[in-house]
Amino acid sequence: MRTRILTILAYTGAALTLVVAVCVPFVLMGAFSNAVAHAGLHIDAAYSGGTVARTIDRGRYTIVVYQPVEPRLLERIEPFVQIVFEPAESLPAHVSDEIDLDGDGRPDVRVSFNVPADANAPLRGDVTALNATYISLTNVAGESFSRMVVRAGKQIVVRIPLHEGPARR
Amino acid sequence: MASRSSALARPPAFRGVGRSILLTLPMALWSLLMFTPSFQHASGDHYIGAAAVILFMTGLFFLMMRTGETYRWRRIFFVALGFLFPVGFIAALVAERGTMSIPISRMVSGDTPFCFMVTPSIILPAAFARTVIFPGSILPTASNPHSIAIMIGLWFALTLVMGKAWCSYACFFGGIEEGFAALPKRRRLHRFITRFGAQLRLIPWAILVFVVLVSAAIFEPVYCMWLCPFKAVTEFPAVRNVETAIQMVVFIALFVGLVVVLPYLTKKRTQCGFFCPFGAFQSLFNKINLFEIRINREKCVDCGLCQTSCPTVALSKDSIREGKTLLNCMKCGACVDACKKDAAVWHLKGTPVAAKPERARLLFLYGTWALATMFGGSVLANGVHTLIGFLPLK
Repeated sequence: MRTRILTILAYTGAALTLVVAVCVPFVLMGAFSNAVAHAGLHIDAAYSGGTVARTIDRGRYTIVVYQPVEPRLLERIEPFVQIVFEPAESLPAHVSDEIDLDGDGRPDVRVSFNVPADANAPLRGDVTALNATYISLTNVAGESFSRMVVRAGKQIVVRIPLHEGPARR
Repeated sequence: MASRSSALARPPAFRGVGRSILLTLPMALWSLLMFTPSFQHASGDHYIGAAAVILFMTGLFFLMMRTGETYRWRRIFFVALGFLFPVGFIAALVAERGTMSIPISRMVSGDTPFCFMVTPSIILPAAFARTVIFPGSILPTASNPHSIAIMIGLWFALTLVMGKAWCSYACFFGGIEEGFAALPKRRRLHRFITRFGAQLRLIPWAILVFVVLVSAAIFEPVYCMWLCPFKAVTEFPAVRNVETAIQMVVFIALFVGLVVVLPYLTKKRTQCGFFCPFGAFQSLFNKINLFEIRINREKCVDCGLCQTSCPTVALSKDSIREGKTLLNCMKCGACVDACKKDAAVWHLKGTPVAAKPERARLLFLYGTWALATMFGGSVLANGVHTLIGFLPLK
């Protein structure tokens, strides 16, 4: 009797597996993808740059300032703050901007770079720290996740490393 | 080896042509259904690619029905998958960015296609910090359709049906080493592998535990960044400093050693069996999958042919005595085809062993081959389409 019940259950399970297989491309794949999409996950700030703090309007273009990203206990990145210039096509041939990163009304860094007409051309830039919280960068491109001036699609992404310690807010 | 011995074990025609065609018909219709979108907005190359895949997948399924063999025909598909995936993938990368390397700018813009191999590494940070430690995007974008949500959804759906059989019907990386393992006639290092099989089988679990814990600790996909042999034939972080240069050397060394040289020498899938942490992770799904391979002790003569033929050493003397395969069995069918006594059989859990092995095989193959056609077929079609593009016809 037990064998018979188990056999019936096994074939029912196998039939269900087949039904699941048929449903995969039409329903299930999308359903599982939606579940992942709505799970409240976000990309690690080392890659995404973290959350937006505010935007600064410069007329032709906008500067998006992100919250500083702190490494977790054993994370191998330096603390940094990301700023994004967009849209890249609207930027002048040479950008030199003094930017208030911490929102205290005073500029914290000067960022300067040339914008090549060719979007695929290499990009390099300089960052001059105007207060002790930030670290200056010279002729930087995409050295690391904490130090970069790169073109990413329609944006110029700049990441400025922060000094460790209590000088930071 | 396995196919030769299986040719001895079974008569050439296991099932009549008519019955084989009837059994193949659902799969032919499924293939058409899967590739109908390809026909709707197809160029000539797409049309040829999709048509070739429909014929290929349906033809192989017919041969499985006709001969009663699984491993030989599955291997043809799997090796084609393994070699056509990099063709399509690399061609797309080179066309888009001119190189196989991922510049850091693409990582920060979330344009890295998600790879299922990284799945175990992201689980703990996702569960405890809601953070995905991969430089992709959660939702698909115009520049990255292979988003994390899409790829995990696809992997999970396929895994529900296939379990560990993912490793022998869906994983295009495994196809590459299976291709190299198929090349030599002679098997080398056999004694070493037999003697140390138990220890070798533990390595993927050790690597799995290592990458899961270390990835969670340092918030980096450690396997992707340091250990994945297949970075050598897909994409890899652009060399920008000493660390990324070392990573590149590691990727190439692992690929040459584990995917080319050792499979060629041993006729085993050494990367899958003795290294791949994703394979170990996937083994866990064998527990919930209904299909398995069993050894019928009443027929078994302990000749060891099944053990020798297994590409991932998923059989041991003890497991054969118990009439079971080990947890890492990927249901490729090599042992079943190799067994001259028909003692190694397909089995549906819950039913008596060897009661209806062919029925269990059919139920397994319909679900698995259908999804292999859907997932692997699209990869094959893309590869064929790319190859046609290389021909000097245009």
